[in-house]
Amino acid sequence: MYNKSLILIIFLMLSFTLISAQGTKWKRRVPENKLKTQLFHSTQSINLPTAETLQKGDFQFEISHRFIPTIKSGSKDLWGFDGPANIRLALGYAITDNTLLNLGRSNLDNNFDLTLKQWLFQFDSETFPITAAAIVGGAYNSDIPNVDDNLFQFFGQLAINTMFAKTIGIGVVPSYLYNSHIQCEDIQYSFTLGTNIQYYLSDMYSIIVEWNPTVIGWRKDFNPVALGFEIETGGHFFKIILTNSSDLNTTQFLSGADKSFNSGEWRFGFNITRVL
Amino acid sequence: MKTIKTLLILFLFYSFIFAGEYQVDKSKENIVKFISDAPIEEFSGITNSIDGYINLISFQDLSNNKIYFEVDLNTLDTGIGLRNRHMRDNYLESDKYQYTYFDGHFDSISKISQTEFSVAISGDISIHGVTKNITVLGTIFSNEDGLRIVSYFDVKLTDFKIDVPEMMFMKIDETMNLVLDFNIQLME
Repeated sequence: MYNKSLILIIFLMLSFTLISAQGTKWKRRVPENKLKTQLFHSTQSINLPTAETLQKGDFQFEISHRFIPTIKSGSKDLWGFDGPANIRLALGYAITDNTLLNLGRSNLDNNFDLTLKQWLFQFDSETFPITAAAIVGGAYNSDIPNVDDNLFQFFGQLAINTMFAKTIGIGVVPSYLYNSHIQCEDIQYSFTLGTNIQYYLSDMYSIIVEWNPTVIGWRKDFNPVALGFEIETGGHFFKIILTNSSDLNTTQFLSGADKSFNSGEWRFGFNITRVL
Repeated sequence: MKTIKTLLILFLFYSFIFAGEYQVDKSKENIVKFISDAPIEEFSGITNSIDGYINLISFQDLSNNKIYFEVDLNTLDTGIGLRNRHMRDNYLESDKYQYTYFDGHFDSISKISQTEFSVAISGDISIHGVTKNITVLGTIFSNEDGLRIVSYFDVKLTDFKIDVPEMMFMKIDETMNLVLDFNIQLME
């Protein structure tokens, strides 16, 4: 009897020790939402869009210049900085985390454009993640000398982006432009296949190369090619640009450039965007 | 007989070691917020994604008590998407250090009223892969369905190897004021 109660007590002690030694019952709850894959840092390359959108409620202000005289005009014209310049002002608003609405205006032909970018999908991968967005828009040219017909233009683009080593971003942007040459009686169209490559040297600095060859349809004299250096700081993206095209708004840029990149007829330009 | 007595006493002692476990009550509104008050800009980052537990026998018996809480840094929102991205990618490097956690215990719990207790907590806080020992004061409010913990303390970014570039000094403060206000409930 003595032995039995001893055994019982020892058994109870051991079982209580086991229970209290179990430690904690808490387990980390798996987070419901994974972060959306973001590749490029900015919503736009030099003239082409990226697949990036903004957070719902954010605004994006843009001011851009393309100096019309080329660098060949020499120091007397400050390599083009003396101007004149084509200017673009734009304001973007993120209707949702995946939809960006943009209203812009260029002094060239007094072109007003309205653009909607819709993020489509992402494909996760360690080496080649892919994100894609669709961009549609229209423009109205209210000040073209001697032309008062066919003033509306429309376009559709697909921005397909990937990035490897977290530093080299590549975008492919097939684009369709309706009414690419307003002066023409018959409506012209253009199909271009733009590519932009951006190498992020650090958190702040990157280099961009971009070109937009016309595949079929109407085009001005040359394909646009652009080189850019981007500085990202605070909420700003500053781009310093050298390009043969002096066009800023999409419906003007997509139809080609009036000067040759290969013969060094480059223009200075800059883009400044600020996210608010 | 003596053996049985000692064993009985040990047995009673053991039964009291069975501690109560509190876990974060996800159904309530929980706030973890940092405030950056720099010369030309003030902003804050907020999340409700705090999780963790407290093992405590009672407010009077602090032996073997343990506190563990963690926050998922990917959920912090400063109000601007680009700023969130910079915070995650450039400063916090949350792809490498996704969870910031506190691993410690109560040093003291003093009663202020039936429902309010003043507490001192110390332990390790880990941010950006750097662990530091800190002591923090807080208040526990008890209500019908659980406890509410409120605490304010400061975190110096450089203590955790978070370097703010010179250009950003006017916009991002070196010291973050932390505000914690969250709820825990006793698990059955």
